[in-house]
Amino acid sequence: MSTQEKVKINKLPTGVPGLDEIVGGGLPEFSFNIIAGAPGSGKTTLAHQFVFANASAERPALYFTVLGESAIKMLRYQQQYTFFDPAKLPDSIRFINLSQVVLEKDLGAVLEEITREVEKANPAVVVVDSFRTLVRKPQSDMDLQSFIQRLALFLASWQATTFLIGEYAEEELRDNPIFTVADGLFWLRQTAERNSIVRKLQIIKLRGQDSVPGLHTFRITDAGVQAFSRTFGLTARKRNPPGDRRLSFGVPELDEMLDGGVREGDSVLVAGSSGTGKSVLATQFIAEGINQGEPGIVAVFEERPEAYAERATSLGLDLETPQKDGKLTILYLRPLDLSVDETMQSILDAVEKIGAKRLVIDSLAGFEMALSPGFRADFRESLYRMIFALTGIGVTILSTVEVDESFTEFPFSTYSISFLTDDIIRLRYVSIDGQLRKIMVVIKMRGGNHAKDIREYEITSKGVVILGKRLTEYQGLISGVPVHSDRSDSKEEPSQGPGTGKKR
Amino acid sequence: MTTHPKTRDLAHRLLAYEAVVGKTSEPSESATFRVYEKLRQGLGEFAGVAGFQSLASRALVLAKTEAPSLSAVRVAADGSLHGLGEFEHQMDIDRDRAGESPAGQGGVILIARLLGLLLIFLGESLTLSLLRIKWPEAALNDCNSENGRSA
Repeated sequence: MSTQEKVKINKLPTGVPGLDEIVGGGLPEFSFNIIAGAPGSGKTTLAHQFVFANASAERPALYFTVLGESAIKMLRYQQQYTFFDPAKLPDSIRFINLSQVVLEKDLGAVLEEITREVEKANPAVVVVDSFRTLVRKPQSDMDLQSFIQRLALFLASWQATTFLIGEYAEEELRDNPIFTVADGLFWLRQTAERNSIVRKLQIIKLRGQDSVPGLHTFRITDAGVQAFSRTFGLTARKRNPPGDRRLSFGVPELDEMLDGGVREGDSVLVAGSSGTGKSVLATQFIAEGINQGEPGIVAVFEERPEAYAERATSLGLDLETPQKDGKLTILYLRPLDLSVDETMQSILDAVEKIGAKRLVIDSLAGFEMALSPGFRADFRESLYRMIFALTGIGVTILSTVEVDESFTEFPFSTYSISFLTDDIIRLRYVSIDGQLRKIMVVIKMRGGNHAKDIREYEITSKGVVILGKRLTEYQGLISGVPVHSDRSDSKEEPSQGPGTGKKR
Repeated sequence: MTTHPKTRDLAHRLLAYEAVVGKTSEPSESATFRVYEKLRQGLGEFAGVAGFQSLASRALVLAKTEAPSLSAVRVAADGSLHGLGEFEHQMDIDRDRAGESPAGQGGVILIARLLGLLLIFLGESLTLSLLRIKWPEAALNDCNSENGRSA
C-alpha cells in the first residue's frame, strides 16, 4: 500500500491553549482518551474546554456525569471560565446525569444508558466524568475493564471522540489494564512545593501521532487550563541558518571588539557585579536595534517598565516612543509562582506579536527569583530550551547576569550557563591607582574572531563609553587587583573625582 | 425574603403557558403540576434524581414560608410532588373567586422559588437555556438574574 492510501487522522482542536502543540497538532478524531489525576488537578476543566471547542448542533457533545461532583455545582463553577458559552447548551452540549443508574443498577445498565443516548444524539464528543466512581460500586456484573473495552468499541464505531475522567494516584499508573485500552492517556499532576503549587501534565500515551514527551507545566486561570509546551510551540518552525549579519551595540568600540558586532541569532551573556553597567549596556543594545529598525523586547524582573524607560531617558535613549509605536515591549515579569515555561511563553508571545529581532533578559537572577521555588530546579534546562528556540528563528538574545565580585577569581557566571551562550562579555571592577575602575573583556565569541583586549570603560550620561586603547600598562587586571607593569616608573597620580577618568 | 418580581414573572409565564397547553392535552393536570414535572424531567436529566430532589425540597421549604397553603405539599424521594391535589383544589376555588393567576399564588411561589434557586446556582443564561429545552415555544427572554441570595 502506498503512503497516499493511508488513512488520514483528523486532528481536533483541544480548546486548551498550548495543548495542541503538545499533542502533536490536535487530538486524533475518534480517539478514546483517559484524563487521570488527583482531585483538583483540572481534569473536568480540560474536558469542558475540549467539549466547548468541538461541539456543534449537528454533532453535539454528551457529557455524562456519574457520581461525585453535583452537576449543578459543576456548571455553576465551570461557567465562570471564559470558554464556557451558555448558548451551546442544550443544542450543542448536553449534560446527562447517570448517578441513579449507577446507584440502582450495574455497569451493564450504565453502558446501556450511554448507548441509548449516543444512538439518539449521534455525538462527536462523549465525556464520562468520573468513570472511576463506577468501579467503586460493589457487586457489578461487569468489571470496569470489560466496561471500558465495550464502551471504547462502541464509541469508536459511533465516530465519537471520547474522554473518560478518573481520579488516579501516581502509583496506580503502573500495570493498570484499563490504560491499555485507551488511545490517549493524559496525566495531570498537582504538587505543593514549599509555598507554591506546581501543576504539570504529561501525555503518557497518544496513539497515531507524535506528542511532545515530558512534563509540561500548566496553569488554571479564568480562561481555563493553559498548557506550556516544553518546546514553546516552536517545533514546527524552520530553524534559520546562522547568518553573517552583525548587530551593533551602539558602542562603536565594543562592536569593534566583537569583530563588527554581535552575530544575528546569537545568545550573548553580559556578566558583571552590581553597578558595572550590565543593564545600561543592555539598554543601549535594544535602543540601537530600534534605531536600526529591529523591534525589541526587554524582559525585566527587578524594576518596573516605567522606571526602566526613565533610566534609559537619563542616558539619552528614548524607549517611550518605540513602545507607543509598537516597536518595543518592556515586559515586567515579577509575580511569584510563575513557571519557567509560562514566563518564557509570555516572552515568546511578545516576540511574536511585534516581530522582535532583539531580546534582552535583565536579569537572569531576577528571572529565577520570579519563579515558583518548585520550578527553579528546571531553570537552566528551560532557559536552554528557550534560547535554542528563539535563536533558531533569528532572534538575538542578550541576558545579563550578576556575578559575585571576587578579587581572586574571574567567574563568568554563577549560574553555570556559559554553555547556553555564544558570546560572553565580562564587566568587572578593578582597583587601579587608588580608584575603583571598570574593565570590559570579550571572553568568548562563538564563530567569531573577537578582540582579546581588556578595555576600560565608564558609565556616563551617554551610557557605556569605552576609554582609550587596551590597558597595556597593568598586569593581572582580571584579578581585580592589577599591578603596574613598570612599578618603578609609576608615580601615584592625584585622586580624581568620579566620572572624570584618566586622561589618555 | 421573597422571590424577585422578575422570577415570579417568569414563573407566571410558564404557568400561563402550561394552563393554555394543558386545556387541550391533559386538562386534568394543573398548570403547577405540569410546570413542576417538566422541570423535574429537564433538570433530572443533568442534575440526577437526587440533585433535583434536594433542590425541589429547598424550594418547597422556602415557598411554604410565603404560602402556608402549601403546608400539605411534599417532595418525594424521586423528586415528584405530592399533596398538590388538595392544595390545587382549594386554590381553584380561591382563584375563581379572585380571578387570579391560573396557578394561584402558592403555585407561582413554589415554581418561582425553584427557578430562583436555579438562577442563583446557574445564572440567568444557563437557566433559560435549560428551560428552553422543555418550553421551546414559550417567550422566556428578559428575565433579570438575581445572582444573589434572594431566592
